[in-house]
Amino acid sequence: MLEKPSKLRIALISGTVIGAVSSIPGISLINCCCCAGVWLGGVLALYLYKKQLTEEMPQLESSDALMLGLMAGVIGAFTATIINVLILFTLGPVEAELVKSIAEKVLDRLVEQGSMTTDMVDLMKEQIDQSIRDAGNLSNIFGSLFIALIVYPIFTILGALLGFAIFRRKTPPPTTVSP
Amino acid sequence: MTLTHRTYLVVVLLVAAWCGGILLAPALSGSMPGVSSALYACYEPICHQIDARSFHSDGGKLAVCARCSSIYFTFLLALIAYPLFRRLSEQSLPSRFWIVVAIGPMVVDVTLNFLGLHGSTLLTRAVSGGLFGLIVPWYIIPVLVEAVSQLRSQLLSRGGLFYARKAQ
Repeated sequence: MLEKPSKLRIALISGTVIGAVSSIPGISLINCCCCAGVWLGGVLALYLYKKQLTEEMPQLESSDALMLGLMAGVIGAFTATIINVLILFTLGPVEAELVKSIAEKVLDRLVEQGSMTTDMVDLMKEQIDQSIRDAGNLSNIFGSLFIALIVYPIFTILGALLGFAIFRRKTPPPTTVSP
Repeated sequence: MTLTHRTYLVVVLLVAAWCGGILLAPALSGSMPGVSSALYACYEPICHQIDARSFHSDGGKLAVCARCSSIYFTFLLALIAYPLFRRLSEQSLPSRFWIVVAIGPMVVDVTLNFLGLHGSTLLTRAVSGGLFGLIVPWYIIPVLVEAVSQLRSQLLSRGGLFYARKAQ
């Protein structure tokens, strides 16, 4: 019987997706709904891992989901922080103001069209302002990394366990847990 | 106490602490404003914390919005009620249909609100979130209990191998 594929590769892919979704202003708004971007990242990790398993390999186990969720969460926390720092240092204050003004015009247009409510747009503007204010502040960067390292793995583990429940085989063999 | 019971107890305590933090943030705003601000900051990355979309307690908004509060508190409620309805060692999972029931109303509420077709209210947010929190533990607990048991077995077998090699 073949060995199971490496979890690290899948965790790196899903962690990068989690990091990108959580750090790009606007898209990161998805995390305002109970960290949805992060726990969906956990579901994604489980889905990608299950897709790699063939008939010749051992069956997917719940411990795989737990480990995948944990690894994806930790990698996601680091990736989100790195992408945040890269965005801030690459853009710089002048470019950041330019991006801010363009983003605000687009958001105002969305409110006029009725696609977004004013409170959501205010929140997105606040997010952009916050990103600019936090630029280069080391204590803020490490503070957010610390919180992310606690919160992200919790939600990715929950996502991966839920993913296991969703993508499990329809007729699993009966198992009992040893006390 | 078995590993299954210990796993369950740890999860209940962690979720209770998480929910406690949500309530403590407004409760401490008067007496310990520094701790209160720190608590709000901890929950800030996972929730928008908009005042108009939050439940209030002790004159301040909770640390997360109404939808998130409903999810976490009903999650805790379902966790506490879990052993009354199912054995903790029971490994079978409910039908996938209930996952759709859990996620569906929340997705519909958020999507319709985003498209401007329906304005979600505190009630729709609380009900859709609460439904999600009530249903999800019935999937999470059996899988988590099984996962911890498997990890323990794997670690024990690796440890056994290590000591066996050392003895040779």
